Amino acid sequence: MAIRQVRTIGDDILNKECKPVKEMTPRTQQLIEDMFETMYEANGVGLAAPQVGILKQIVVMDVDDGNQYVLINPEIIETSGSQTGPEGCLSVPGKSGTVTRPNYVKVRAYDENMEQFELEGEELLARCICHECAHLHGQLYVELVEGELMDVGTGEEDYE
Amino acid sequence: MTKPTKEREIILDILLEVLERGGFVHVILRQALEKNQFLEKQDRAFITRVVEGTIEYRLTIDAVINSCSKVKVNKMKPVIRTILRMSVYQLLWMERIPDSAVCNEAVNLAVKRKFQGLKGFVNGVLRTIARQKDTFVFEDLSLKYSMPQWLIDLWREQYPEETVEEILKSFLAAAPTTVRCNVNQASMEEIRASLDEQQVGYRVSPLSSQALLLEKYDYLDSLEAFQKGWIQVQDASSGFVGDVADPKEGDQVLDVCGAPGGKSLHIADKLKGTGLVVVRDLTESKIRLVEDNLDRTGFTNVRAEVWDALEYDPDWEKKADIVIADLPCSGLGIIGKKPDIKYQVTPEKLDDLVSLQREILSVVSRYVKPGGKLIYSTCTIDRKENEDQRNWFLQEFPFESRSIEGFLGDAVQEEAMKDGYVQLLPGRYPCDGFFIASFVRRAE
Repeated sequence: MAIRQVRTIGDDILNKECKPVKEMTPRTQQLIEDMFETMYEANGVGLAAPQVGILKQIVVMDVDDGNQYVLINPEIIETSGSQTGPEGCLSVPGKSGTVTRPNYVKVRAYDENMEQFELEGEELLARCICHECAHLHGQLYVELVEGELMDVGTGEEDYE
Repeated sequence: MTKPTKEREIILDILLEVLERGGFVHVILRQALEKNQFLEKQDRAFITRVVEGTIEYRLTIDAVINSCSKVKVNKMKPVIRTILRMSVYQLLWMERIPDSAVCNEAVNLAVKRKFQGLKGFVNGVLRTIARQKDTFVFEDLSLKYSMPQWLIDLWREQYPEETVEEILKSFLAAAPTTVRCNVNQASMEEIRASLDEQQVGYRVSPLSSQALLLEKYDYLDSLEAFQKGWIQVQDASSGFVGDVADPKEGDQVLDVCGAPGGKSLHIADKLKGTGLVVVRDLTESKIRLVEDNLDRTGFTNVRAEVWDALEYDPDWEKKADIVIADLPCSGLGIIGKKPDIKYQVTPEKLDDLVSLQREILSVVSRYVKPGGKLIYSTCTIDRKENEDQRNWFLQEFPFESRSIEGFLGDAVQEEAMKDGYVQLLPGRYPCDGFFIASFVRRAE
């Protein structure tokens, strides 16, 4: 297991289209494990493969609902409702902005055993699915921000 | 995607700003709530409660932490001591939150702020405190009521021990928002009907039939009675200034440090559209507050001006029927509403204020016409700024004290009122700590 470097906004790789995963390999398995570790280390709730520099259609998520989700080659097949609220991205450190997303999302994807499944999410999970799937198509949430992109102080440096 | 900011993280940031950098609670809190406008109402209420409570009880909280931790509060890293303080407030004063939730959230917060190495420490201290939480009893008044010792000593010089303790206790009691009704703009019946219709919970102040204590409402701005200018946020004690001033129709009134204008609007209401009230204050921003209130209430006999009260204005020499001098003060009477005052005031600041008040009184007393009235008031409990200041003024200027008996309703009865002054103490009366002295200028 290893923590990988998170690419940040300005890195071209974040704007590229990712390729579908054809088969599970030990290498890809390792990538998924590393992505979880990297996400937890950075206090994230979701991470997409291009954020660690790999142009593959892989997303990992943990929104504190007791599950770890892996979405391979995900495809959003249904959305409804809407939610407006703050959103942030590990690739856009120290910032947050208001984004409107569907409140309900159904996604079809493959799991780490390459078995197809469907996942439904509401609220935070729905927001996270939309945010991470957009990464696979080279899109960042900053394009969707309503109003200003705001600074979020992490604070700790100033108080040491 | 990053983890959404949780309420406790917002609380931590607000408290760091206030406790470690000396920011003003109400300013920082308002900014934070504006920035996080998508929070649910109960989350906003939670943030406000924990922030204000942690600041209000800081001295008690620190004593609790120090009794359970080898590393003392003042030696801890700011992030860690702030996490501990806000958590102890929740453990000891918010019974509905399970102890385990408080401890877990504190540990998560420490980790999120990159103090993984201290999560055991945070967890250990908080669990020890949670286990012993019924054993923390403080005899010492400073720790029991979270009040700096020198302020307690200051009041002990002037009041009996029981009175001091009553004052301290009252500062920690929840204070409802008090509004004064502009009874010449709408009748009490109309105002009450409007509040009833919007399902506002309120009761009439025991001190004044025109003051209402609002207990259940959402936003003041959303109340019809507020939008129409029928009600004005003003403590019952401050409302007595207008009653004591007792203006007659046609009076020329000068309020020398008047923002946000509560007392002037009260007097304007009493003048029933006649006369003139000029409200002055030091800065544009303060005068804008007065103008906001004027726009809302629609009074036409009030004018707001930026003017430094220290600067003599010859145009007003012996012109005013009434001068209202509600001067800058230490604010010790409103600690219940603004708890940060107790940590920020110092003995030196009190002395500076006494000099400033004297300078202002020397200037503004000249504006009172012979036979006219000067009302001096402060929202503090400090003999040097209040009673001593009154005595000094009587000695130095051509004024006599003017009895205020009968002007403060039936509930307030104090010996000193016949001598023209009163020190209202919170605890004795359901209002802020407030001082009023009334003078009349001698005929020439």
